[in-house]
Amino acid sequence: MSGASRAEVSTLVKQLVLRESRLSIPPSAIADDEPLNGELLKVNSLGFLGMLVHLEDELDVQLPDDLFAGRTFGTVADLIDVVAGQVAGPSGDGGRP
Amino acid sequence: MTRLPGRWRSVLPSLGYELPPDLTPDSSSGPITAGIPLELIRQSISRREYWEIPEPVLEQYRRYRPSPLWRARGYEQAIGSRVPIWVKYEGGNISGSHKLNTALAQAYYYQRAGYSELVTGTGAGQWGTALAAACAVFGMSCTVFMVGHSLRSKPYRGSLMRLLGATVHASPSPLTDLGVLAGSGAADRNSLSLAIGEAVEHARGGQGRAFCIGSGETYSILHQSVIGLEAIDQLAEAGATVDTVVGCVGAGSNFGGVALPFFAAGPGATRLVAAESSATPKLTRGIYAYDRTDATGTSPLEAMYTVGSGFAIPPSHSAGLRYHGAAKLLSAMRRRDQIEALAVGQQQALTAGRTFTRTELVVPAPESGHALAAAAALAVGDGPLAPSRAGILVCVSGHGLLDLAAYDRSEAGDTADQAADEASLRAAVADLRPVLDLDLLDGAR
Repeated sequence: MSGASRAEVSTLVKQLVLRESRLSIPPSAIADDEPLNGELLKVNSLGFLGMLVHLEDELDVQLPDDLFAGRTFGTVADLIDVVAGQVAGPSGDGGRP
Repeated sequence: MTRLPGRWRSVLPSLGYELPPDLTPDSSSGPITAGIPLELIRQSISRREYWEIPEPVLEQYRRYRPSPLWRARGYEQAIGSRVPIWVKYEGGNISGSHKLNTALAQAYYYQRAGYSELVTGTGAGQWGTALAAACAVFGMSCTVFMVGHSLRSKPYRGSLMRLLGATVHASPSPLTDLGVLAGSGAADRNSLSLAIGEAVEHARGGQGRAFCIGSGETYSILHQSVIGLEAIDQLAEAGATVDTVVGCVGAGSNFGGVALPFFAAGPGATRLVAAESSATPKLTRGIYAYDRTDATGTSPLEAMYTVGSGFAIPPSHSAGLRYHGAAKLLSAMRRRDQIEALAVGQQQALTAGRTFTRTELVVPAPESGHALAAAAALAVGDGPLAPSRAGILVCVSGHGLLDLAAYDRSEAGDTADQAADEASLRAAVADLRPVLDLDLLDGAR
């Protein structure tokens, strides 16, 4: 799935944050600016890293550490942006919509 | 001749189940930082069985590996053993313990990920020394918070870490909010959990800094698999077989390292016996629950056998075993009866250590004395566990040359066993959330 569009990455990221938070709602119900660790979503630091490895498997890419080291992630969009930027597909939309 | 393994071997594909997921503590909210190199996370959750050891790590391993394995005939004779006892000795490196096996790997991955300083907490000082050595090799700064009581009783541990270039603080320290709180008497003092908590807090305060941990995490147990992989080859070379593998457990990395390659090679074929301290009897008297890994309370909660992170651990000469919980990997295996456990008092451990010193001419760390005492019980059929029938492999995880004061006090009759009392244990776990069958199903997703 390397070369995935931002929309595909967004759906995948939202599926993973929902699973990590043990929530059973559709990914489309999650806003891009939803905090990763707030009132709705409960993603912890180790769970976040585990999600990155699952994203690697799903997207068939290897995410380099320098994308994440020393950086903070507040919202779902923060993660989508970084991953989409790394795997930007032919639709050319690695950036925000 | 046994060669240094070129790959670590993961037990995860052999388990037949997934580990329960961690939980986010209620007290946690706000932005997330990715403070661990992704390769370590891959090693913790992937079902890949073999992992190539990076050449820079292998280069360092070659300084002291393969570590020796021998049949301890003198010890067998002294205790009246009915079966052969084989010793795998991990004390022959600058850290004096197995801890260097994962310290080198972790420093390599953190340095490659762009970090310049590693911060950690240490109990007996073996892990702190190992990390200081690894940071020296890979050109990183190192800051160590060492349990204050332990540092004062073993000042040369501090000297060695400083010689290796590390900055060493006695915990509780005035550098962190947690340390100040503990110093005021408002929180637990002198525990490994507190030292780790201080390290976590300190690591958050600087650019390029990362907290790293020496035991308990699944990746550190993977790195320790070199112990068991070598032992399997060495026993085969000697034409020997064992039916029981023994190691001491603080959080579980040396035990996991020596024992789990046997499980991976044939689940259930070899008994795996964890020797824990009767002062922190998590595997024999604790509960399987979600608990904190350090005193900050902000880290993810892990499913573990625990006596409670708030449990006031009695004083002990085995600071490396003074930790409230067992690794989540070992805890999951304990839950499924894939490992056994035996609690050992410190006097019993030091007596075993003294006997081993006089018969094998190696001074074991007091922590390793617990493994030797457990091996003796299994070798003569004394105690609650069934005896070994074919032979025992015991990991002597470190040397005790910086623990001679403990042996002196034991020799002078100045060492008391303070087993955890039942009421304190129950109180310390009363508020923990037990691991439910539902959590285990979640882990199987």
